[in-house]
Amino acid sequence: MIRADIIKLYKTVHTWTGITCGFALFIAFYAGALTMFQEPIARWASPPAVGVAAVPLDDAPRLLELVAAAHPEAREEGIKLHLRGYENEPARVTWEEDESHEAGQPHGHVHWWATLKPDGSLLAKQEEPSELAEFINTIHMRIGIPEPWGSYFMGVVSLLYGVALIAGVIVLLPSLVKDFLALRVGRNLKRMWLDAHNVVGITALPFHIAMAITATALSLSHELWSLQEAVIFGGKQAILDERDNEPFRAPKPIGEAGAMMAPSQLLQRLKAQVPDFEPKVMIFKNIGDKAASVRVAGAERGYVGDTHLGGVMLSAVTGELLKDSTRPSRQDPDRRASETFYGLHSGQYEGATITWAYFFLGFSGAWLFYSGNLLWIETRRKKACKGGELPEQRRDTYWLGAGTVGVCLGCVAGLSLTIVAAKWLYGRVDDLNHWHEYIYYAVFFGSVVWAFAWGAARSAVHLLWLCAAATMAIPLTTLLAVLFPALGMWAHGSAATIGVDVVAFIGALCFAWMAVATTRRIRNGPTDSIWSIRKADGDTVPHKPAATPAE
Amino acid sequence: MANEICLDWWGKASAGAILGLGLALSLVGLYAYLGPGGIDAPGGRYSLMRYLEVFVWVAVFGFCFLFRSGRAAWAWLGAANLIAFTTLFACRFYFFV
Repeated sequence: MIRADIIKLYKTVHTWTGITCGFALFIAFYAGALTMFQEPIARWASPPAVGVAAVPLDDAPRLLELVAAAHPEAREEGIKLHLRGYENEPARVTWEEDESHEAGQPHGHVHWWATLKPDGSLLAKQEEPSELAEFINTIHMRIGIPEPWGSYFMGVVSLLYGVALIAGVIVLLPSLVKDFLALRVGRNLKRMWLDAHNVVGITALPFHIAMAITATALSLSHELWSLQEAVIFGGKQAILDERDNEPFRAPKPIGEAGAMMAPSQLLQRLKAQVPDFEPKVMIFKNIGDKAASVRVAGAERGYVGDTHLGGVMLSAVTGELLKDSTRPSRQDPDRRASETFYGLHSGQYEGATITWAYFFLGFSGAWLFYSGNLLWIETRRKKACKGGELPEQRRDTYWLGAGTVGVCLGCVAGLSLTIVAAKWLYGRVDDLNHWHEYIYYAVFFGSVVWAFAWGAARSAVHLLWLCAAATMAIPLTTLLAVLFPALGMWAHGSAATIGVDVVAFIGALCFAWMAVATTRRIRNGPTDSIWSIRKADGDTVPHKPAATPAE
Repeated sequence: MANEICLDWWGKASAGAILGLGLALSLVGLYAYLGPGGIDAPGGRYSLMRYLEVFVWVAVFGFCFLFRSGRAAWAWLGAANLIAFTTLFACRFYFFV
């Protein structure tokens, strides 16, 4: 039996770690849930292009040859040959080149794609792809704080999140058997919210433990690397790192001409040598040289964390396996364990089931932090005596309520609107990728200001309707694109992109439902709460619970 | 055990955060030297170690509030750090040079 004073102490630990990290974790989990579908979102946001199909795989050798001849930097750095025909692959072949910069200085990259004209000549164009999906991932990783502070901050937040988990479990342990899965819906609203908070937290506990540990390690990876080098390895780590990166490096060109094997043949050779490998993209280096190579990125069936670093390298001349130690089944046990941890974070295993499970677990995590803040407020609520005067609620509960509403709903509405902007602003602004940031931050900070200006109760209704409208705009935009092609927008027909619209549609309905329920609560719910807009009005009805008190 | 446990928020939390990290680095560092293949083992060991370190760090930080006081936390965790670091540096500078 755990002593009461320990429980009490850990309740304090849980409360304060939770309150300090709740906002950041909500954003990380909500945006993180969306990144489970980073690729479908990228496909949804990509304008119609030449596409992979414009050059059949059998014509790829000629295309590669022409690109390598006309773009020596691409030949050296790697030319990507796409295989799947997704909408975010603008053409059969793409590559990146350095922006003009002084030697040794940090610099950006520009993106190129290339295809064959009907007469068989090369058409190459520099065009920046949509970075919407990457932007959502940045929000997930660093909630919008610039580097390096974003990583430091999220590292500390993730560490405290781990502490909050331990504390929360200790607090719950004594009553776990009694309370487990007990959702007491009824008059005691705080009890119901606490039950729900506990059930959601404890059932997803393995997920949360994995997230807390991996998120801390990933956020602080540079710092931990340096500490390990200084304290443990004393210089040896850089050598090991170097040796570990060797299998990813292409062989150096030898300057002798060599005949390239066609990509379709290379894929056959790959299949013969590594049957369980599912290639996504082939990256050719030094085409035309006898030492030309192709790295094939993709998944290996049955392995966790399969697409992160996995891959094989073949000779582009003979199709022989050059380097094979980086695909999952050939990794050393330590690398495999480390990749498994990463896979646990990114949900890269077991295919679509886990992707969807992580999607919902991400939302459930976001809800956990949201409900945690609500419980903090509810605990400090001053109740009115029956027939007595309506007490003034504490200012801190008022501010935390407004902050919770503004930050959480601002993040939701901001992400939805910035997704919508991918279609509306395409071709209308110069730098769409920056506009994604402007729009998100404008909506996010605007919502926070709005929440403080109007108070938690009123702004929750306003902002929930904003969330519903912004999210509904995602499928509506696609619908408009179909109905009015003159708008210059597009609607892809693939299941993945239609899936984005369908999920957004359902999400918008959920937000609308929450908005309706919140309206009811702020009008008809108990008045002695920050969630009510009614002044003392001789409320004779004893506290009648509203459907959803806070949302 | 009969003693009242005091909150001593900052004393314990600082011990958990600082000495927890120290214990994490030194214990996981021992795995680098004593694990299969030793310190020169090729592969992704240094990458795996980051996750293991955070695991220890979170655990120490999370449970450090069980110490009677901030002083006790610093004393016990400090002693644990001392032993672990001594062993680690013995490995690094003496046994596996």
